[in-house]
Amino acid sequence: MKSIKQLLGGDTRQYGMVVALIALIAFFQIKTDGKVLTSTNAINVINGNAYVFIIAIGMVMVIVIGQIDLAVGSVAAVVAYVVALSIRDWGVPWWVGVLLGLLTGMIIGAWQGFWLAYVGIAGFITTLAGQMLFRGIQQYIGKATATPVPKEVKYLGSGVLPQWGPDTGLNNSTLLLGVLAVAFVVWVEIRKRNKLRKLNASVPPIYLPVIRIVILAALIGYATYLFGSGSTAAGESLSFPVAGVIVAVLVIVYHFITQRTPIGRAVYAVGGNKIAAGLTGINVRRTYFLTMANVSFLAAIAGVVGVGRSGAAGGTDGTNWELDAITAVFIGGAAVSGGIGTVMGTVVGGLVMAFLNNGLNLIGAGADITKITKGLVLLAAVAFDVYNKSQNKPSITGALARGLHISRGKKSDGPAGPSEVVTPDPAGTASK
Amino acid sequence: MTENHVPLEKHHVILEMRSITKEFPGVKALDKVTLKVRAGEVHAICGENGAGKSTLMKVLSGVYPHGSYDGQIFFQGEEVKFNTIRASEKAGIAIIHQELALIPELSITENIYLGNEVKSRGLIDWSQAGRLATDLLARVGLDIDPQTPIKNLGVGQQQLVEIARALSKDVKLLVLDEPTSALNEEDSAHLLDLLRGLRSKGLTSIMISHKLNEVAAISDSITIIRDGATVESFEVVDGNVDQDRIIRSMVGRSLDSRFPDHTPKIGEAFFEVRNWTVAHPTIPDRLTSKGSNFFVRHGEIVGFAGLMGAGRTELARSIFGRTYGRYIDGELLIDGKSVHLPTVSSAIAHGLAYVPEDRKVLGLNLLDDIKTTIVSADLGRISKHNVIDRDQEYSAAEGYRKSLRIKANSVDVGVNTLSGGNQQKVVLAKWMFTQPELMILDEPTRGIDVGAKYEIYGLVQQLADQGKGVVVISSELPELLGLCDRIYTIFEGRITGVFDKADASQEKLMARMTETVSATTL
Amino acid sequence: MKKITVAITALAATGALALAGCSSDEGSKSSSPAATSSSAAPTAGAGFDAGATIGVALPQKTSENWVLAEKLFNDDLTAAGFKPVVQFAAGGVQDQQSQIDSLVQQGAKVIVIGALDGSQLGTQVEAAAAAGVKIIAYDRLIQNTEAVDLYIAYDNYKVGELQGQSLLDGLAARKCDKTKWNIELIAGSNDDANSKPFFEGAMSILQPKIDDGTLTIVSGQNTQAQAATEGWDPKNAQSRMDSIISANYTGGVTLDGVLSPNDTLARAAIESATQAGLDTPVLTGQDSEVESVKSIAEGKQYSTIYKDTRALVAKTIDQIKLAQAGTAFEVNDNESYNNGVKVVPAYLLTPQIVTKDNAEEVWAQDDTLLSTFKSALG
Repeated sequence: MKSIKQLLGGDTRQYGMVVALIALIAFFQIKTDGKVLTSTNAINVINGNAYVFIIAIGMVMVIVIGQIDLAVGSVAAVVAYVVALSIRDWGVPWWVGVLLGLLTGMIIGAWQGFWLAYVGIAGFITTLAGQMLFRGIQQYIGKATATPVPKEVKYLGSGVLPQWGPDTGLNNSTLLLGVLAVAFVVWVEIRKRNKLRKLNASVPPIYLPVIRIVILAALIGYATYLFGSGSTAAGESLSFPVAGVIVAVLVIVYHFITQRTPIGRAVYAVGGNKIAAGLTGINVRRTYFLTMANVSFLAAIAGVVGVGRSGAAGGTDGTNWELDAITAVFIGGAAVSGGIGTVMGTVVGGLVMAFLNNGLNLIGAGADITKITKGLVLLAAVAFDVYNKSQNKPSITGALARGLHISRGKKSDGPAGPSEVVTPDPAGTASK
Repeated sequence: MTENHVPLEKHHVILEMRSITKEFPGVKALDKVTLKVRAGEVHAICGENGAGKSTLMKVLSGVYPHGSYDGQIFFQGEEVKFNTIRASEKAGIAIIHQELALIPELSITENIYLGNEVKSRGLIDWSQAGRLATDLLARVGLDIDPQTPIKNLGVGQQQLVEIARALSKDVKLLVLDEPTSALNEEDSAHLLDLLRGLRSKGLTSIMISHKLNEVAAISDSITIIRDGATVESFEVVDGNVDQDRIIRSMVGRSLDSRFPDHTPKIGEAFFEVRNWTVAHPTIPDRLTSKGSNFFVRHGEIVGFAGLMGAGRTELARSIFGRTYGRYIDGELLIDGKSVHLPTVSSAIAHGLAYVPEDRKVLGLNLLDDIKTTIVSADLGRISKHNVIDRDQEYSAAEGYRKSLRIKANSVDVGVNTLSGGNQQKVVLAKWMFTQPELMILDEPTRGIDVGAKYEIYGLVQQLADQGKGVVVISSELPELLGLCDRIYTIFEGRITGVFDKADASQEKLMARMTETVSATTL
Repeated sequence: MKKITVAITALAATGALALAGCSSDEGSKSSSPAATSSSAAPTAGAGFDAGATIGVALPQKTSENWVLAEKLFNDDLTAAGFKPVVQFAAGGVQDQQSQIDSLVQQGAKVIVIGALDGSQLGTQVEAAAAAGVKIIAYDRLIQNTEAVDLYIAYDNYKVGELQGQSLLDGLAARKCDKTKWNIELIAGSNDDANSKPFFEGAMSILQPKIDDGTLTIVSGQNTQAQAATEGWDPKNAQSRMDSIISANYTGGVTLDGVLSPNDTLARAAIESATQAGLDTPVLTGQDSEVESVKSIAEGKQYSTIYKDTRALVAKTIDQIKLAQAGTAFEVNDNESYNNGVKVVPAYLLTPQIVTKDNAEEVWAQDDTLLSTFKSALG
């Protein structure tokens, strides 16, 4: 449980959502006679939702600073056309086209960030305007005409890692990723123990990290098998999708930025209390600017991956992408009022929606039923969260985890006596 | 005391709170508190900040619903179990809080009848409401057009509107929470007169206050609460109140021991402000600091005394990275060299720290945990290549938790779960972590209980003993007199005087704070 | 409709014949367009000034056809001496409503409406009619109002029938190593009224073949609701096809054909099948989008529908000219299009099915498509 906790940036409220995700996958796995956890379907889920994860990573930061970005779908749509048109009509190499697309995203991001940070127009309004503005630009430059992209760009959105080397029975690229991931888990555990020793703190019994490593390695091993064992109908080896690698790299990078760097701290500080952040020496405007600019940049990446998956830029690109991302963020435990939300939680939120969509597709529920279900799930997830917060206690699983961990319980320093810890004002903080 | 005043013994008890106990996780905020209020009297409740006065009133008014506390409440002879504020209002109990609950954009009439509209055939009858409002305003002695928007009224007038609003609801028991804390003397006197007038018409009032002169001037009986328990309750006979007795009961020790013993080690002046002139951020011709000059020496605790709105906070914040107002003129010198501090980060880099007056609004991100808060103003110290070293973060925070005796199980605890005193210690730790040379503390002990105050005074003295300069801004003159080596007074943005500890007194400070002595004596 | 059904039954019979052998001729050509019988519309007006303003309210620039229609209306109405005002409802239904109002204010004598949502314009067209403006519903019917004077469109049920038939033809031609085929269905967006005639038209052809076991829908998703594509968004169709393929078409199960209501979704389905490593299934389409024209030339997408926007706009302008002269609209269907209040007089153009074999013939008049097709042929 603790490793799940660490996986989620220490946010106990996320246990519930992880359990819900596992239950969801299990439910559909049974309901569809095992069609959810197959190589091809797992790849489909990753590829089909890569854009959600990529945008949601940036969106969670925007929501943490207490803003929202409604323009990301339009931005991605513009970028899709910039990439497709520059390659087709200007004849630039594919990677130049992709770079042009990312540059477009950065310029748009700077534009959005400027209005919010330096003119002081609320993000909702700035990006509502941006949603129209960039959708219009997309229609102007694209004329709703399907514009194909070359196979290299398609590889970014729909390809899988290549097979090479000796026949191991699995795809070797995926196998390598799996081995690296397990090695990382082991390294983290060893490093943690060494540190505790150095600090002369009590080192937990050896079986605990071993159990953690075994559980995580089993999970990674299963994922490696899932992604690496399949083959297409034509007999080509399947592997971990390229878009999945892009998502994974972005998740790791942004998890690190938000949790371990001063700029990440600034994002949470501004979201939690803008005035206090300013009086602490944080440049509030710069934080606003960078956060807004960043989500447009990520939307550009999503646009590239999206156009790669569909094979061509088209008129409906990016429709409702902002809502998909915002949904993932809120299911992932972020608060509308700002200050709360994590990249890891958002990934879990995105996975919940992805597997829900996929499972409903697999059982043949129509678009109408799918929409109804998704709406209810969003409401239920957030209601669950609000209820937990109003009760001022973590979810059941969180409580369980705490029970297992003595360290949070009865340690007592200083003089004995009544603790000064008081309950937070329910009206004041429950809504945060 | 006054006209038509029936001796109290003949009055029946209108309110009795019996053995009220209210617990929050880990702390007993109220422990078997009893309170008896007789009809037609003004009953004062005295106690230090954090003693439990406000909690008691929240129990009374239904903010903490029946069932969330132990004990019984009898009002007008019947047991009452309020679950909401509306329920207590319906029974005839009105509470006027320190923070006024009026809506600035609406008129007096609209505010008085908000949620309680005067209706005729389902529609609001504004002309009737206006007439009634005029009558109510006359009753509270306010001669003003009821159409006036609240935002055009002064604080004192707003307070009167609040009372008018309470009267409109046919109030039987009026509770005033620190009613004069934001008022000047004239308004305060007017308010006390009004309370006397209402008393003569039979209205019962509870007044929460720690201004002993007011308590002495108006109350018929006094209940003193300390650390969540009733210490004593007595009747005022012939207006004679033993103020020392109240103080002793309130603080639980004599005033002399409110400050730790301290022998200052004062060095050279290192921080100087010259001709500091700053304008209001939006009103260009209103100066919030008018050519202020002052200095701070190593090892010295310097106080700033002034009434609310005199410009103390504004002065401090305009110096600290220009976070208030528009700079017009003046110079800052550190160790004799002129420095330019246009941003908070530059101020921090030059060794300044500012602990703001309102912790929850200005000083803390209540979503953060202790360790994140403590290191937040100087992340560079625990970062390598822009990456935060969590071990350093943890051990730094843990060090402060122990040395400042922050009462929390670990530094992973959220600051929102801490009491006011411990929150203030966390904020102090946050600024001590930046290793400042000059620490400006704005109302450092507001809303903190007595014990924690004592500890914070000790911390301030420790800082000074390390050779740092400390500036303390406070509204509590005894605090300044007890803690500071030198005290400046401010009136309307001007520094009007400076006193060494030896020859400062409440009277002298007050005179300069209100400019009742002519400026020529300066 | 009965007339058409009879024609289709005949057509289906032809198709069935074609199935028997794997003829080199890829399926039978579509039958000749249903005979058009002109009859006078009930309402004839007094006519108006030859240089009058003509309003054109189009939905959104989400497909090539609407962009082309904008250009054609502007050019051809101007050439005919009228003063065109062509507008898009970029901001949704409300936009279109206010555009219609303002066109009336600008003195338009005829307003051609390509409705964004045909059920939400009643108030505006009634106000327009009250001001003496003639209303032509272009491509999409306007529902629940008396105030529609003419509906001009391609016959959408017919589109569905042609798609269904061409799927059968394509299976017979391309997957001629077998006589029973696995197919999947894609339908249009639930909020577009045209999705229903497309789907039902196609199913009128396919259902008998499903019933007799010639066709199998392996996923079992055989209703319009299950097959619907939210917002006509190809991403949604692709995701759905991905799921269906990964769940049903493994271990040698072949996907032989997919019914798709338009080209964008057809290409999404091809993309999905290709990415899953399947052979390209037989795909139907509609709209003759440039990318699909290429795809057909390259032998991937099997067929598309050509609804010549030029012909539709030209016919619309002919009708406007009739109105200008004070004569009645030309109508060839006075019974099929009941909009809930009245039977709207309709002029239906016949769509054409296009495959690789007849493409050059059908697109002979359309330079862009023809040259695209030829260059893609190589």
